[in-house]
Amino acid sequence: MAVTSTVAPLRRRRSRRSVPWGAYSLLAVFTILFLFPVYYLIIGSFETPSEALNGIQAAAPTHLTLANYHSLSQEFFSSTITGSLRGFYTVSTLVSLIVVAGGLVVNSLAGYALARMKFRGHRTLLLLVIVLVIIPFQAIAVPLYYMLSGMRNTVVVQALPFIGSAFSIYLFYTFFLNLPPQLEEAARIDGAGPWRTFLQIILPNAKPAFASVAILSFIQIWSSYLWPLMMTSQPNVYPLSIAIGNLVKQQSTPNYGEMFAFGVLLVVPMAAFFLVFQRWFIRSVASLAVKG
Amino acid sequence: MATLTTQLPQRRRRRVWTESRVGLTMLIPGIGLIVIFMLIPFFYSIWLSLHVEIVGSNIPIRSVGLLFYRHLFSDPIFRGVFLKSLENNGIFALVVVPIQTGLAMFLAILVNRQGAFVKFCRTTFFLPVVFPMVLTSLIWKAILAPGPAGMLNAVLRIITFGHFSPQYWLGNVHLALPSIILLSVWQGTGFQMVIFLAGLQGIPPSHYEAALIDGANRWQLFRDVTLPGLRNTTIFVVMVTTIFSLQLFDQVYLLTQGGPLNATSSVMYLAVSQAYVANNVGQGAAISVVLCFIILLLSLIQRQVLRERVD
Amino acid sequence: MSEIILRDVSKTYDNGYQAIHQIDLTVREGEFMVVVGPSGCGKSTLLRMVAGLETVSDGEISIGGEVVNDFTPGERDLAMVFQNYALYPHMTVEKNIAYSLRLRKLSGQEIQRRVTEAAEILSLTDYLKQRPGRLSGGQRQRVAMGRAIVREPKAFLMDEPLSNLDAKLRVQMRSEILQIQRRVGVATLYVTHDQVEAMTMGDRVTVLRAGVLQQVDTAQTLYDRPHNVFVASFVGSPSMNLLYATLNGDGTRLQVGSQSLAVSAETFVRRPTLRAYVGREVIVGIRPEDLTLEGAGETLVGRIGHIEALGSELIVHFGLDARNYVVEDKGGSAEEVEELLEETALTQHVRNVARVAPRSSVTTGDAVPFHVSMERAHFFDLSTGESIW
Repeated sequence: MAVTSTVAPLRRRRSRRSVPWGAYSLLAVFTILFLFPVYYLIIGSFETPSEALNGIQAAAPTHLTLANYHSLSQEFFSSTITGSLRGFYTVSTLVSLIVVAGGLVVNSLAGYALARMKFRGHRTLLLLVIVLVIIPFQAIAVPLYYMLSGMRNTVVVQALPFIGSAFSIYLFYTFFLNLPPQLEEAARIDGAGPWRTFLQIILPNAKPAFASVAILSFIQIWSSYLWPLMMTSQPNVYPLSIAIGNLVKQQSTPNYGEMFAFGVLLVVPMAAFFLVFQRWFIRSVASLAVKG
Repeated sequence: MATLTTQLPQRRRRRVWTESRVGLTMLIPGIGLIVIFMLIPFFYSIWLSLHVEIVGSNIPIRSVGLLFYRHLFSDPIFRGVFLKSLENNGIFALVVVPIQTGLAMFLAILVNRQGAFVKFCRTTFFLPVVFPMVLTSLIWKAILAPGPAGMLNAVLRIITFGHFSPQYWLGNVHLALPSIILLSVWQGTGFQMVIFLAGLQGIPPSHYEAALIDGANRWQLFRDVTLPGLRNTTIFVVMVTTIFSLQLFDQVYLLTQGGPLNATSSVMYLAVSQAYVANNVGQGAAISVVLCFIILLLSLIQRQVLRERVD
Repeated sequence: MSEIILRDVSKTYDNGYQAIHQIDLTVREGEFMVVVGPSGCGKSTLLRMVAGLETVSDGEISIGGEVVNDFTPGERDLAMVFQNYALYPHMTVEKNIAYSLRLRKLSGQEIQRRVTEAAEILSLTDYLKQRPGRLSGGQRQRVAMGRAIVREPKAFLMDEPLSNLDAKLRVQMRSEILQIQRRVGVATLYVTHDQVEAMTMGDRVTVLRAGVLQQVDTAQTLYDRPHNVFVASFVGSPSMNLLYATLNGDGTRLQVGSQSLAVSAETFVRRPTLRAYVGREVIVGIRPEDLTLEGAGETLVGRIGHIEALGSELIVHFGLDARNYVVEDKGGSAEEVEELLEETALTQHVRNVARVAPRSSVTTGDAVPFHVSMERAHFFDLSTGESIW
């Protein structure tokens, strides 16, 4: 909501003048530049291999065909050597579900305990969380690979390292820290214990934090590539990203039409989700700035 | 009264125990998971970097001290690759950070107004953020395809009225890294733009009003109100972008495998390929550890800069 | 029905700061007890200790004859009204009021009955289905009250419940809260920093300063017979004029700066201890209404500073060539007090206040004789600040 409003005085200045054509034309140029790859992806997915990679003509919406989607839909149900599209979808969905749902539970509780409960070693734990926020996953991917190599080619192992997230804990921590403590005090006086207070009083008032964390972790896990790359070698446990990655990487004379169609299918759940919940997406990213 | 006083200490102990038990129960799952899957691997990577292990053999694990770290800076063959990767990361960061930060701030100011068109633009700029890097790589692989059939080549040819000769963007030692930078900026700018947008909204309108009353023009408004108001946001964005750019991996692995001639190799790519592809675990771990410390150091600097602001 | 008894209660924080010093206090059954003091005096801490939101470091708190030190807030069976109301934003007014009853597993019928009744008392019936976010400040205040009364608790605790309201509403809510408290008839502990609120609402008023209890009495007694110079200056608005003065050798005159006032023999009858101060320096306290422009008796000549016309009266600020005694909110160190006094020595010319009849002919800059009602003057020991009786 805050994001959609405008700095008032500038707007007032503007409205007295005419439409700011300069700003609008700049915006138009950048919008075309940013939108073009997306447009190319969608148009290309309806084109034959020879048309999809054919200079500027590829961008023209002529000779559109559903052939790519048709062959993908057949692949959706038929399991081949390279795995079935349905399988990739299932794995990606399952992994995302485990990470987002599990993450919301464990990270919100930990963030809450850090923000509100008094116990020994509180400062140390907080410091630990902050340091772990900084360490990127890639930097520990290699040792983690050796620790969990026994679980390779499972769905669970693709989700496991991402359920607990120092970053999510920190986001929840700062959110709960800014929530007025009087709400909980009132609940305690009304006779609610800590668990009931969390479930009935805190949770309903922490929807924005939950939405932010859910969205950010969904973006991250749906796009994750390195970890499933290390942990999967069998097509039946490939997530979508690996399946597409293999196409991008391996084909020397790529069938771009079909790859584009595949790519559209990868991004459609996310993009649809984004367009519907755009305000929440933007707010959740904006909430990161508070962190500074 | 007597019974009351004997009961008292018991009650008190129960109470305290319950309080801390609830706190612990809430903490344990989340903290436990990040300790197991982040902290322990971090220390394990330090251990791995100090030992030699031949995977799949019976040769006992042997401590080698700082051998793998010395390799990084003194092994005649390996040194070159490592330093080239470090340099690539440096160039990537030095180009991406200012471009992406500047562009994000510029776009944020442009879209910080109302209207359907502006809203559409805002959506467009943010859309690539939800694109997985795999998909971004796929699209740009087609755009950057070699020969006249490649989209970028074709567009540049039209713009220059045929004077432009098609380039092999990802296969050219001089063009590969800039190409990777181009698609990374496309994918990442929207993210920073939204953070800047939030920063812009955080500047109180009264600051603009005061400056207007003092007779400031639009450029002075930007210089004296907007920029100072975005200072902390900018520091945050710069640091996050820097850290992201040090983690450069996916697009390199997918599009160039570090090539041509290590022109796009990154530290993270080198670490993974050493450990995973070349089965040289200790070396990969040593690179990871070095990267971790670089990132921790940068974060410390960020905290310091932010703290100075507060003081 | 029950009373709240605090015995020797202290609070020391982990960092060693002692917020509350050995307080003994009894709130009788049905009594409206106001705790008042400047900000940071520990009054909220005291209330939160009774509520169970802060632990008790030392001493005993009992409610209804039961020591509650180790009870959870829920087990203490109290109701509390917070300064920002702390209404649950996601629940309707009805659910807010009913929440504690639902937790205590009362029957739906009973809950319905009590909520309806409370809503009627507070004229909230039309708002029961709304969320707190849509209510005005006064309505939210009533919901908070409703949440407190439906419980039929052993005691009410209120933490500055009116300070978020505008002045007019505050006066109205004062009487509403009092009416409800009378109706429910439970012991009430009410914390405020506003001494007018304290005086008008409390059956008795507790004055707290830097965690130390100063005096517990009815409002009138606090005003007429303050235990010490702090209570004397804190209670009453505008506050009492406090001046350094010396009783002369035979105790017949009081030297105030270059001027002096006659001290009648009767004064020593009323305040026998004052004898011991003959020939010594004391603090004399004169309420602004005990200084008049007309009348008889002893006068102090002062130079008039600015004049506030309130319509019903004039508040006249004036300067004397005598040193003013300055009361600090907190029990600051001796050096701090000294410093403050030096500062005030420079600005003392307009530190005194008189309340005089409206339309009196006074002009800024004039030197005017003020008649002093000496029989109503207060005397305080210079070193301890205690009243001399």
